Amino acid sequence: MRSIKLVAPALAGVLALTLAACGSSSSSSSTPSGIKVAGGIQTPATESLTGGKKGGTLTVLNHEDFEHIDPGQTYFSIDYEAMYATQRPLYSYKPNTFSAVTPDMAESAPEISADGKTVTVHIRHGVHFSPPVNREVTSADVAYAMDRGTNPNVANPYYQGYFSSIEGAPKATGGPIPGIQTPNKYTIVFHLTEPQGQIVADALVLPVSAPVPEEYAKKYDAKSPSEYGNYQVATGPYMFKAESSGKVLGVGYQPGKSATLVRNPNWNASTDFRPAYVDQINIQIGGDTNVIGRQVLEGSGMVQNDTPAQPIVRLAYEKYRSQLQISPGAGDHYVAINNSHGPFTNVNLRKAYWAALDREAMDKVRGGELVTNVMTHFIYPEIPGFEQAGGLAGPKVDYNEHPQGNMAVAEKYMKLAGYPSGKYTGSATVQVVGSTGAPAPEDAQIANQALQNLGFKTKLNLVDQSVMYSKYCGVVKEQIDVCPNVGWVADFGDPQAVLDVPFNGKLIITNGTNSNWGLVNHAQINTAMEAGEKVVGTGARATAWAKIDNELVNEAVAVPYDWDKQPNIESSNVVGVGDLWNIGSWDYNYTSLK
Amino acid sequence: MSIPAAELLPGSGGEGLEYLDLGGAIAARSPTQLFWRRFRQDRVALASLGFIVFLVFVAFGAPLIVKALGLPGPAVENPNLTDSFGSPLGPSAAHPFGVDQLGEDVMSRVIYGTRVSLEVGIVGTGIATFIGVVTGVLAGFYRGWTDTLLSRLVDVVLSIPILLLGLGIGAACAVRGCVGGAVQPGVGEILFLIAFANWTYIYRIVRGLVLSLREREFVAASRALGASDTRIMFREILPNLVAPIIVYSTLLIPLNILLEASLSFLGVGVRPPTASWGQMIAAATPIFNTAWWYMVFPGAALLLTVLAFNLLGDGLQDALNPRIAR
Repeated sequence: MRSIKLVAPALAGVLALTLAACGSSSSSSSTPSGIKVAGGIQTPATESLTGGKKGGTLTVLNHEDFEHIDPGQTYFSIDYEAMYATQRPLYSYKPNTFSAVTPDMAESAPEISADGKTVTVHIRHGVHFSPPVNREVTSADVAYAMDRGTNPNVANPYYQGYFSSIEGAPKATGGPIPGIQTPNKYTIVFHLTEPQGQIVADALVLPVSAPVPEEYAKKYDAKSPSEYGNYQVATGPYMFKAESSGKVLGVGYQPGKSATLVRNPNWNASTDFRPAYVDQINIQIGGDTNVIGRQVLEGSGMVQNDTPAQPIVRLAYEKYRSQLQISPGAGDHYVAINNSHGPFTNVNLRKAYWAALDREAMDKVRGGELVTNVMTHFIYPEIPGFEQAGGLAGPKVDYNEHPQGNMAVAEKYMKLAGYPSGKYTGSATVQVVGSTGAPAPEDAQIANQALQNLGFKTKLNLVDQSVMYSKYCGVVKEQIDVCPNVGWVADFGDPQAVLDVPFNGKLIITNGTNSNWGLVNHAQINTAMEAGEKVVGTGARATAWAKIDNELVNEAVAVPYDWDKQPNIESSNVVGVGDLWNIGSWDYNYTSLK
Repeated sequence: MSIPAAELLPGSGGEGLEYLDLGGAIAARSPTQLFWRRFRQDRVALASLGFIVFLVFVAFGAPLIVKALGLPGPAVENPNLTDSFGSPLGPSAAHPFGVDQLGEDVMSRVIYGTRVSLEVGIVGTGIATFIGVVTGVLAGFYRGWTDTLLSRLVDVVLSIPILLLGLGIGAACAVRGCVGGAVQPGVGEILFLIAFANWTYIYRIVRGLVLSLREREFVAASRALGASDTRIMFREILPNLVAPIIVYSTLLIPLNILLEASLSFLGVGVRPPTASWGQMIAAATPIFNTAWWYMVFPGAALLLTVLAFNLLGDGLQDALNPRIAR
């Protein structure tokens, strides 16, 4: 899961869904997953990817700074926007899909062997690094990029999660990794110890697969932490503005202040599918989100990059609707409930809580239907398996059928749980840990109120979001009962990327930061996931993981409440194009000026 | 004790001198009467006192007042009172101060918020004052190593930025509490912080006065009569400190109310669903453009309360210590 600050989710997959691109300026539009968006508002499904005007400078206003600019380290939506404009991983997504990948640095789709233990990728000819390297990219550069993902100085955050099945990867500290072979200049082969070819192939959309020239980067990677990001070279249409030596820091990137992306002189449009309309992208960092929002709506040539403040979204909807863009499939939020300790080890108590919770109210405090959908199961829109798992309506179980909460259904399950009065009469005090920063406290209070309505004594505490994850909800020994503000962003468009880490009991981490916040550890689900990991083929995987999703609902492992939709705003003379991936952020490669 | 006025005059036996006939006994005014005579002339201070009495009444009678006004409880959520964007609805007859993002009645929460502010202001100040008085009297009376030890401790405590300390304690005690669970998140944590930091101000004032008073004749007389140290400190010296203690404590109350509001604003003070003005102001900040009422009413309550305590403190200062009156 990538870092998300105010919203949620995003990356790869292989299922090719047909775009249901409908809608006009006067009626509502819907996305491939059927998410409706009010008329007049742009969505990735309605935006044209072609025909933009070439030239001009786009100004991006960011409240937040980048976390990393090194492709081996980036794991944050704001980082990704610049990363996918400057670097070319083996595969990537076009803005209007989160289910079909496009070969990027790769020449064609990955070849997965029948036993699922070998993945072969052929890379493009004629792609060159930006100055000062200038030479053509080869498979060795991709291999080095993958190797350095295991380098402690790079400390890639997801490598072991998706690539640990590569031979030698688990123990590698920078490579060369025996399981990554380059038989020729344009071919790279991944040899795996487990039949997990599909998930490895899917994960090649992640930035770590973007080529890095070893002879240039090695000296920077030797430093701790690696300084390659500050001297990086590009393969994409843009590059961070740099000195002739390649130095970016202080030139094209001033932390906390600004960044400048200029055209990569070595980029050859014939090798790329991106149009790259604008000539330059000036990114300004810092400022109040309300102020930024007004500047963008009333100004010229600007987009706001991070999530606009709620009043700004409303203002845009009411007065500047054509400048508002909504991207569905921006991840999810759910209430994690402790399945392994405390009162909620009882499945009927979990179902009672699900039934009692006013999920619609929780979504309302997040901005209402414009930016949310009531979450009814765990695979989220735009991810393969969403429809098979129940689509928007979700599985037909009584505790899921009342988004506003239903105490009668809740009391039914309380009685089944052994509380004849329909109220909890045990002695446990439920520890609830939520996060600060609107709208999380309001959601936490609604979740807390629902517990009290069921008769629980509760103790609600709100802490900073990072503290919530790193000190409480993500720490097994803390045994927090309820975490109402957790959310998930898929790293790529595959259902395993949505369900595996947060709900697989085998992935509970007891000596570090755990992302299975509900300590979900049910044998039948673990077994199903183990089988699902080995399924090859997008359709088959969607079906297999949709069944797992249904199991999760049947066990009420958590209470889902919000499928996020990402609002984006632009100035009136900007033709912004948002993504269905990368939590729905703007895509610099497709955005143009009028 | 009433003394006939004539007895106060020299030569009241009447030999060789003529005196005015004052027409009977005149009662001398007690210190309390003198204080009240001066205090009641300060209309601003009186009004402030009246407002504070009103606040105390509101705090104690919050449930009854809310019920009498026909308002929902402070933690009653009603999503139907927010629009389709989740924005709260403004003031209306049913909700005179409007509602918040959860559809909770702002007036009800402002009324209940009085409880937290007064609890923190008065109880916290009381604890800090008690510690400050006891340690100040001990340091001033005994001097020597007791004074040195306590005064250096005070120097250390005063050098700690209280807001940062509050943030630190808030983070450290966030979920499980700290000091073996003695300090719990919320009001308990704030009371601890106030007691820890604010006793030092009272200590310094009391110590200085005791250093002076211990040299006075009435102390020497008590000692000569065989009074114990404890009796001298707390029966002879302490009553002389009541006026400054009252004045400075009163001035500490608004500071502590503001501290609570600041910590709650920063997210480490009182926890929801308990109503606190600072927390309400914090929650209102992101939506101020569309829901002004959510910030204005708790803000006004905070402003008026702090102002009232400050003006009362000034009034008490003038009434109890007329020599330094403005």
